[in-house]
Amino acid sequence: MNHDHVSEALHETRLVVNGVQHTVRVPARRLLADCLRHDLGLTGTHLGCEHGVCGACTVLVDGLPMRSCLLFAVTVDGAEITTTEGCRSADGGLGPVQRAFMECHGLQCGFCTPGFVTTVTAFIRDHPDPTEAEAREAIGGNLCRCTGYQNIVASVLRAAELVRAPEGETGP
Amino acid sequence: MTTRMFGEPIARREDPRLVAGDGRFLDDLGAGALAAAFVRSPHAHARVVDVDAAAALDVDGLVAVYTYEDLDGRVAEPLPLLIPHPSLHAPRTAYPLANGVVRHVGEPVAMVVASDRYVAEDACDRIRVAYAPLPPVVGIDAAVRAEHAVHDDVPDNVAAHMVQEVGDARAAIAAAPQRLELHLQIERSASMPLEGKGVYARWDAADRSLRVYTSTQTSTSVRMALAAKLGVPVDRVEVVAPDVGGGFGVKIVHPWPEEVLVPWAAIRLGREVKWVEDRREHFVSSAHERGQRHTVRVGFDDDGRLLGLDVEFLHDNGAYTPYGIIVPIITSTQLLGPYKPGAYRVEFRSLYTNTVIVTPYRGAGRPQGVFAMERTMDAIAERLGRDRAEVREVNFIRPEEMPYDHGLIFQDGRPLVYDSGDYPASLAKLKKLVGWDELAAERAQARTEGRRVGIGLACYVEGTGVGPYEGAHVRVETNGKVVVATGLTTQGQGHETVFAQVAASELGVPVEDVAVVTGDTRRFKYAVGTFASRAAVMSGNAVALAARKVRAKALRIAGEALEVDPADLEVVDGIVRVRGVPDAEIPLATVAVLANPLRYAFDEEAKRATQFAVGGGTDVPPVRDGDEPGLEAAGWYSPIRSTFANGVHAAVVETDPETAEVKILRYCVVHDCGRLINPRIVEGQIHGGVAQGVGGALYERLVYDEHGQLLNASFMDFLMPYASEVPTVETDHLETPSPLNPLGIKGAGEAGVIPGAAVFAAAISDAEGLWIDRMPISPSELWELRRQTTPKGDG
Amino acid sequence: MRVSGNATLHAPVEKVYAALNDPAVLVRTIPGCERLERVGEDAYKLTVTAGVASVRGTYAGDVRIADQRPPNAFVLKASGAGAPGTVSADVSVQLAAGDDGTTELAYDADAVVGGMIGGVGQRMLVGVATRTADQFFAAVDDVLTGAAPAPEAVPAGAAAAGQPAVFTAPPRAPGLPGGQLAAGVVLGAAAALLGVLVGGWVTRRAARAAARRP
Repeated sequence: MNHDHVSEALHETRLVVNGVQHTVRVPARRLLADCLRHDLGLTGTHLGCEHGVCGACTVLVDGLPMRSCLLFAVTVDGAEITTTEGCRSADGGLGPVQRAFMECHGLQCGFCTPGFVTTVTAFIRDHPDPTEAEAREAIGGNLCRCTGYQNIVASVLRAAELVRAPEGETGP
Repeated sequence: MTTRMFGEPIARREDPRLVAGDGRFLDDLGAGALAAAFVRSPHAHARVVDVDAAAALDVDGLVAVYTYEDLDGRVAEPLPLLIPHPSLHAPRTAYPLANGVVRHVGEPVAMVVASDRYVAEDACDRIRVAYAPLPPVVGIDAAVRAEHAVHDDVPDNVAAHMVQEVGDARAAIAAAPQRLELHLQIERSASMPLEGKGVYARWDAADRSLRVYTSTQTSTSVRMALAAKLGVPVDRVEVVAPDVGGGFGVKIVHPWPEEVLVPWAAIRLGREVKWVEDRREHFVSSAHERGQRHTVRVGFDDDGRLLGLDVEFLHDNGAYTPYGIIVPIITSTQLLGPYKPGAYRVEFRSLYTNTVIVTPYRGAGRPQGVFAMERTMDAIAERLGRDRAEVREVNFIRPEEMPYDHGLIFQDGRPLVYDSGDYPASLAKLKKLVGWDELAAERAQARTEGRRVGIGLACYVEGTGVGPYEGAHVRVETNGKVVVATGLTTQGQGHETVFAQVAASELGVPVEDVAVVTGDTRRFKYAVGTFASRAAVMSGNAVALAARKVRAKALRIAGEALEVDPADLEVVDGIVRVRGVPDAEIPLATVAVLANPLRYAFDEEAKRATQFAVGGGTDVPPVRDGDEPGLEAAGWYSPIRSTFANGVHAAVVETDPETAEVKILRYCVVHDCGRLINPRIVEGQIHGGVAQGVGGALYERLVYDEHGQLLNASFMDFLMPYASEVPTVETDHLETPSPLNPLGIKGAGEAGVIPGAAVFAAAISDAEGLWIDRMPISPSELWELRRQTTPKGDG
Repeated sequence: MRVSGNATLHAPVEKVYAALNDPAVLVRTIPGCERLERVGEDAYKLTVTAGVASVRGTYAGDVRIADQRPPNAFVLKASGAGAPGTVSADVSVQLAAGDDGTTELAYDADAVVGGMIGGVGQRMLVGVATRTADQFFAAVDDVLTGAAPAPEAVPAGAAAAGQPAVFTAPPRAPGLPGGQLAAGVVLGAAAALLGVLVGGWVTRRAARAAARRP
């Protein structure tokens, strides 16, 4: 009798993640989120739902925020990916968005935070001086169960300030 | 100069790693572990006829397949009944894997272990389970009708029946000048933390020791449960709660089937095993809450003063009762809020249904109780044509009546005695914050413009800081750093910060020098857990007590070293010094060195504590009777009973005349949780609770069909609020310190969500002139209600 | 654990009985069997290597044929040990004439599995045992019907009567026939069915060593 051999073909996939070139060999169905977390050890990106609603898995793919739980790693072969780890400052300290979240108590458990950090990083890059309403709209696709969003909105505005004036001239 | 840390809104110590992506959540651990996955029942009620794993064997990477028949020892017994109660006359708990019967969609039937999760799920997909479906019991009505039983030996589906009464409520109501009867309902919802459950187990066969990481709210209790179930001696089991992505109550239940089975498999296979649930699993195999149906009968006088309150309610507890009847007991007692009910009678039946189990979700039965009470207050106000705030005030327990004994037993088994609180002051603050008196005019103005604006108000009292106890250990290291450990856990409440603030304040050290560990049984073994708004009260006080002991010892040792009276010493910025004498000082680090008499110096500082360096008499031993080496101490806080926080919320809403959409114009909170360790963290907790209150009032419900299928088991259909749905919360605080604990604090964790359903029902009712008696309410339901009812509600 | 099943073999009962007692047949039909050595009257030692991806190992076993009632029944007593565990089994085999010159075979095994491989769960153990039994009987059937080449009548290097005779399997493709990817491995009992399954964990020692790293 014959039994199906269930094993998977692996595909060589190149990803530039946070500026570092990686080559991985992954099955076609490997989610980008799982590839980042388990094949590359970048566990900062989190999975909250695996169906694209909560946004915790958001990374930047060629600069655009995308749900890494809805992407197969092989489909972004050659892309430049930024995760929350890549939003640090050049000297390895906290980047402006990360600092802003900390200053404004924009996180509690921290599980959703990586998705907000990448989303907000892209948003501020494109909208350096948002209003509060615009800031709230910008984070309108990410779920947080802990904070009630109020301090996250404040974090977005503070992050814009810090990006505009990196020496921290503004604010306390 | 150290700022007094207690009460300061400092930034959180845990944030740098969390914002940078360096958190260590469960699935970030165990990179080399085998992965577990589960075959779960697709039927709400069925016999399991056969499990055929033959097709799964072809899956490359499959390691093991387990069903009930493989379970041995106490693992083959039902999971523990965590909180027994005399009124819980028919408790039932599940087996870790179904033993011939499944009683809800999602119940685990088989466990697969494989090289990774993808492969494990492939194997699960190929396992063929033959079921013989049985008729399911879904919903309170079906449970009550009892045409079918969830458990064969509980034919009426009643797990528990409880009555508490003070006075003769029915007689009082019958004799009262005014009477009302209300029928109210709240639908099922769920905690829904962004991180689901997960377990990662390592068995060291040579050492015969087990370490389990689990995303739990109680690592110490999981440890005891696993030691008991797996037959491993307690001192060979360690349980660690890593960074946990939210709990909100669902992670207090333990041990989950998976929490038992993953370590069990790790021991059997001699390999590390990890399981992380996905979102759908969380929907169908964790826990839900909130579903209750109330009948309230109230008798009152012409001023709205309550004379008698008679509440009967039905509670849907799902298929099993591992957490006992805590939720309905909390509903029964916390329903009373800040009011004197006159005579009070509360009766509930807790019913089995073929649905997911019901265990506490933030609020834990209080939202339902507050909904019942506050709707009653609104109905009384409407009947009498009186201001809704006035009617409440007439019934308040007054501050001078504290402590107030309701004559009932609370969820901690202790008397329901409110220790402190100034309800009139809370309400006055709220009225000022929201502009209660002006709003009536604004609402009238809006009506003339064709806009439907309404305002709702809700008061609550929350029992916090339940026992039995918590403990903490504080140690000053020889380098001056302070290490604090407490046994309860953290899911985002900022414990690494607030407990550091407490320790820093008590000891007089910079908060940056204090490191806090929570939820790790290797570091602290005796604890209860994080739930019921108790962590700050319990561990906060334990840390303070431990730190005070350490400070006292430090002053004694420093006094001996400096040859001064300890009473003349103070500790500032980690230096022990004589008050007013600038050069007479000794760093706490050195005191720590001196606290441990040494034979062998391990560094330059340590030389000071060696036998030839230390002075002092040779007629006493280096470590005196009753003393211990080291500058460290454990402290314990065990409360005489819960301490009661309170609050008042108001919401201003506008409903769309055509679409019936509800827009929140303002949301105001006045909150009294005694003294605040970190006001910013408390406020964050309130914001988060309010968001869940908004969700519970307007968006979140779990929908089962008549076959027991959960129709909305995903975030696409179970609607949690995004930023666009949650209003900006305006907060004001009152602080009536708790007289029951040294720090004067009360719990804050659940406050934000408790009055949510009540306040929105009130506001929407007010905007529409319709009587709202069930929550959540969607625009289409509101629209339908408009179509059906007359403007005045049924009284 | 109990494993039982049936097979239909396309040869008369006497031929089937003889084949199941012929070590030259067994060494090439028992899945994973590399070497079979007669050590006495109706007693053999055998070496079986089998496994799949996560589970692979070599097992040394003893088999004894007992309670022989040719051509209809016998009992096989087997035991074996490998790195991950141990197995012992009593397998009773019944042969009955079927239609058109076929034989209906029924086997019933009572097995005890110990050690780590005992930890993989009943469903896997029974499942792989059954599957391996099916593979074994299919292979025997191929020999009986001529679909597979018959072994030489006398094994190479046969010793005189009384001396141990060693039978080695012909070279074959790596892994179990048809079952490359099944998890778990079967330790075969010679002559009839294998009721027992053993998972080999070559990687297990490495994994344990890894677990002990600080």
